[in-house]
Amino acid sequence: MTPILQIQTLSKNFGGLRALQDISFEILQNEIIGLIGPNGAGKTTLFNCVAGIEKPTSGKLLFTSNGNPVSIGGKKPEKVTSLGIARTFQNIRLFDNLTVLDNVKIGRHCRFKSNVFGAVIKSPGQRREEKEIARSAQEILEFVGLRGRGEEIASSMAYGDQRRLEIARALATDPKLLMLDEPAAGMNPQEARSLMDLIHRIRDKGITILLIEHDMKVVMGVCERVVVINYGRMLTTGLPKDVQNDPKVIEAYLGTGAFDAA
Amino acid sequence: MGNMDQKRISNAALLKIGILILALAIPAFPFVSQYLIHVIILIFLYMILALGLNIIPGFNGLLDLGYVGFYGIGAYTSGLLTLHFGMSYWLIIPLAFLNGALWGVLLGAPTLRLTGDYFAIVTFGFSELVVLFLTNEIWLTRGPLGLPGIAPPTVDFSWIGGPVWEFQGELPYYYLAIVMVLATIFVMQRIQDSRLGRAWFAIRDDEVAAVSCGINLLVYKVIAFGISAAFGAMGGSFFARWVTFLSPDMFKFWESFLVLCMVVLGGMGNIWGVMVGAAVLVSLSEILREVLSALGMPVEIRFLAFGLIMVLMMRYRPAGLMPIPAVAAQMRAGKVKRKKAKATAS
Repeated sequence: MTPILQIQTLSKNFGGLRALQDISFEILQNEIIGLIGPNGAGKTTLFNCVAGIEKPTSGKLLFTSNGNPVSIGGKKPEKVTSLGIARTFQNIRLFDNLTVLDNVKIGRHCRFKSNVFGAVIKSPGQRREEKEIARSAQEILEFVGLRGRGEEIASSMAYGDQRRLEIARALATDPKLLMLDEPAAGMNPQEARSLMDLIHRIRDKGITILLIEHDMKVVMGVCERVVVINYGRMLTTGLPKDVQNDPKVIEAYLGTGAFDAA
Repeated sequence: MGNMDQKRISNAALLKIGILILALAIPAFPFVSQYLIHVIILIFLYMILALGLNIIPGFNGLLDLGYVGFYGIGAYTSGLLTLHFGMSYWLIIPLAFLNGALWGVLLGAPTLRLTGDYFAIVTFGFSELVVLFLTNEIWLTRGPLGLPGIAPPTVDFSWIGGPVWEFQGELPYYYLAIVMVLATIFVMQRIQDSRLGRAWFAIRDDEVAAVSCGINLLVYKVIAFGISAAFGAMGGSFFARWVTFLSPDMFKFWESFLVLCMVVLGGMGNIWGVMVGAAVLVSLSEILREVLSALGMPVEIRFLAFGLIMVLMMRYRPAGLMPIPAVAAQMRAGKVKRKKAKATAS
């Protein structure tokens, strides 16, 4: 089976700063893969390159949605989303002034196409679409555990619930690949546990997950494979257990000599 | 809780119906003068403009300082088509609407990639350009001489052997304006609750998150700008046939500023709020005109008053008189916190 995402010698420079250098790895269909590394390693830059927010300086990004790989390097973010890649953000980015339900409905945006004329005359097609959007949005809210909270204002929700809502909004775009940027940040152990359960359930729907996370319990608990980057370069990749005990990784996190001390 | 909500909703609906009936009945009251009717028509006209402009700062979070440009385009479209072709007003409304939309798209498509203040400057420049065009292209617009003698609208039933009825006095305009305001509200509400409206709100709240939901920023901003401009032009087309005289200095920058003040004062993004803003500022403008001239002061001083109002609003009610519900909730939360802080301090 072809990998869902192939990252080939991807580099990204910001002026003189080389944020990513020759990153290459593959994400297989329906796996949960972790992307870890110390602060400033380039994890979020990698996400932004895949999502189309940043344009890679060089290298290739191949995304396989319906059997044949498509190059997505430098494509517009809205195009990438419609191809089937969704993401959440490290610092939550919800539509603060809108209701929970509207946030998810906006996620459904790219899968529908009614226009301004349909909206003004409320054509039968538009009405059907609106019903379908509302129904599927409710279903997604229920799936992430926010059932019955659709009328709340997004910004008034608790932090953990906002994270869930962001995941719901990403799921609403019908992704094949879901990229989560530190979903457990700021969560207490109990919230983190239910998040891990949610991640597993998303995978069971056939969605591949790429995860940036600092909470090692979450990484060890859900990831089947881990990619480690440091200073914009690939450090290693492998099973979570192996990576955890890799001297290079410990050094990257704790500094030279840390492995001997441990 | 649910019961109370339902009751409140029906109360709001009753209030709206009450206001509509009152508006329809006002001319029948004995104390109502022609002057008062004239002022209320002016309020309706500015309601259309404020509702149209509201799309840009209220729904999309962009600053538009050149709305009067589209108002002027609509007015001159209406005036010139009437003078040269004697076209019926009922045909001119859609044509002015489309012409406004066309210029909105022409201006928006290349410039809406600009962010924030830069875009605002472009819109400002555009409206100045429109005034310069109207002043200098004398072959088309007669320049500073203006366009006098624009015929009032007629209702023509002669094609089925009926009567031809020409608008006389303020009353027919009054009811026409009500219909146009209702149509504008109708369209705004429909758009607000649609996929398009949600896309705009997404852009307003967070552009990066919006593109990640698959929303093409430029396309939706251009649509917004086109629709907004179209309503401005529609207001202009009414203005031309109502005052029956046009001159370039009617479309100076301060008109844009006035409409923007209405939107900000009323509550950006709230359809009912911006209408209240229009009603308050037009009435205030007329009252000040009377008071200031009675005091022997130049009437232009009223712009100082508008400026003062904006400053006070920013200080005490930055979200406007009728903010959108979420903002209102946040403000309340903020206030509660402030009060608590004060209590602990004392």
